[in-house]
Amino acid sequence: MKYVFQFGIVWDHLPRLLDGAWLTIRLSLGAFALGFVIAMLLAFLRTAGPRPLRAAIAAYVEVIRNTPFLVQLFIIYFSLPAIGIRFEAITAALLGMSLNFSGYATEIIRSGIEAVPRSQIEAGYSLGFTRLQIFRNIIVFPALRTVYPALASQFVLLMLGSSIVAAISAEELTAVTNTLQSTTFRAFEFYFVATAMYLLMAIGARLLLHAIYWTVFERARPVQQPWSR
Amino acid sequence: MKRRDMLIGAAVSGAAGLATIAAVTQSTRALAQTAPALAPGGVLDRIIKEKKIRVTAEVTSPPFGILDRNNQPDGSEIETARQLAKDLGVELELVQVTSPQRIPALLAGRADVAISSLSITFDRAKTVMFAPPHGALSIVIAGAKKVQIRNAADMAGKKIGLTRATLEEASVPPIAPQGAQMVFFDDIAATMQAMVSGQVDAAGMSAFAAKSVSDRNAKAEIENKFTVRTAYYAAAVRPGDFDLLQFLRTWVFLNRQNGVLANIYKKYTEVALVDLPAF
Repeated sequence: MKYVFQFGIVWDHLPRLLDGAWLTIRLSLGAFALGFVIAMLLAFLRTAGPRPLRAAIAAYVEVIRNTPFLVQLFIIYFSLPAIGIRFEAITAALLGMSLNFSGYATEIIRSGIEAVPRSQIEAGYSLGFTRLQIFRNIIVFPALRTVYPALASQFVLLMLGSSIVAAISAEELTAVTNTLQSTTFRAFEFYFVATAMYLLMAIGARLLLHAIYWTVFERARPVQQPWSR
Repeated sequence: MKRRDMLIGAAVSGAAGLATIAAVTQSTRALAQTAPALAPGGVLDRIIKEKKIRVTAEVTSPPFGILDRNNQPDGSEIETARQLAKDLGVELELVQVTSPQRIPALLAGRADVAISSLSITFDRAKTVMFAPPHGALSIVIAGAKKVQIRNAADMAGKKIGLTRATLEEASVPPIAPQGAQMVFFDDIAATMQAMVSGQVDAAGMSAFAAKSVSDRNAKAEIENKFTVRTAYYAAAVRPGDFDLLQFLRTWVFLNRQNGVLANIYKKYTEVALVDLPAF
């Protein structure tokens, strides 16, 4: 089988691919930020909230983690308009990605919270701290440090998984690539370049996340804690 | 070696669309040169003498060709082939082919005539001879009744849903005015869903698809806004089979006059056949 590679055509369409990659990055960062805030809140309430709320959050996490992301997107984009809630494709994508990420992140952060030694929390109670004070001053920092690698991996998964939002017409990298390859018939070249772009973005994200870890957790560590090793 | 295999494997899967087109074009040419010698006296004489005509049957393109509940070929083009055999007074042998095989199977001599919704194009006319068209496939802009679109210019400021890698994706953007937003989906079901849920104002699709979505969603009040383009499809024969081609010309003429072709079209597509040009 003979196949003549023509990467010149990819070069011609590079601005559109870069636009797509930029949307991928914006969606991923936006969903990470929004999803992280939701997850912190849910993780706190999941461990310290009233019992019915804990159960509701547990149910939310199970639903998000045990249903396909594509179906979640379709519900937001195609089904909600039936009850009068209409989102633009990009908003729907951001919302879907945020909710999906929050489901996984809640569980990850919860595991970090539960890894904080019980005695430290009890020490907080004995000093008269409220639950929120304990969470803020005793739990958050070590909990996040413990689960940081898992959260970082989840972020990369979120970014790679963003390719699915092409299905609801959000014009991110995969959608742009699909359109270009179907109009130029240079499928191999376009997918090859898109793959390389995803790889670069993923590696870039990992480096960035590593730098953040170093800045926030390593450099800012005043003394070696026994549980940090 | 292993790496090369992987590369070839990736190329095969990744570039399937292009590869198919390239392969078909190449094999078409190769086959054209090696087509088996036909019985003397022309192919029409042979068909009548053997009392059998072999026609391509492509059964993955509703409503043109499908497999019915008993796994038997059915559809408007199959019915058209049956009508041709009936009018010739011979038995019909359906030669099942895939879409890209339609022309190669004809050129290789496996079939005498291809009747498989082959749109008439310049490229195909270089390798086969077309009879006058016996059917048409329209790309329309469909949308809810309340959306005000009467022509291409009205699409300005509207969101138009399209399915990637289709005739509509190729035909709608070139006529779209400035300010019309094209929204692309990966399959026709998603495009329909976007139109019905109001995520796009209108969508480009075949008239058959528009009909089926409008029938299934009466409340959405989907209607055809305008026709973007009409592709005509016809029977095709091997280059040089002028006797059979002349019969097909006559056959199309007569069956257009008596309404048989229109009835077949209406029966399977549930859409009235447009006026067919002749050549």
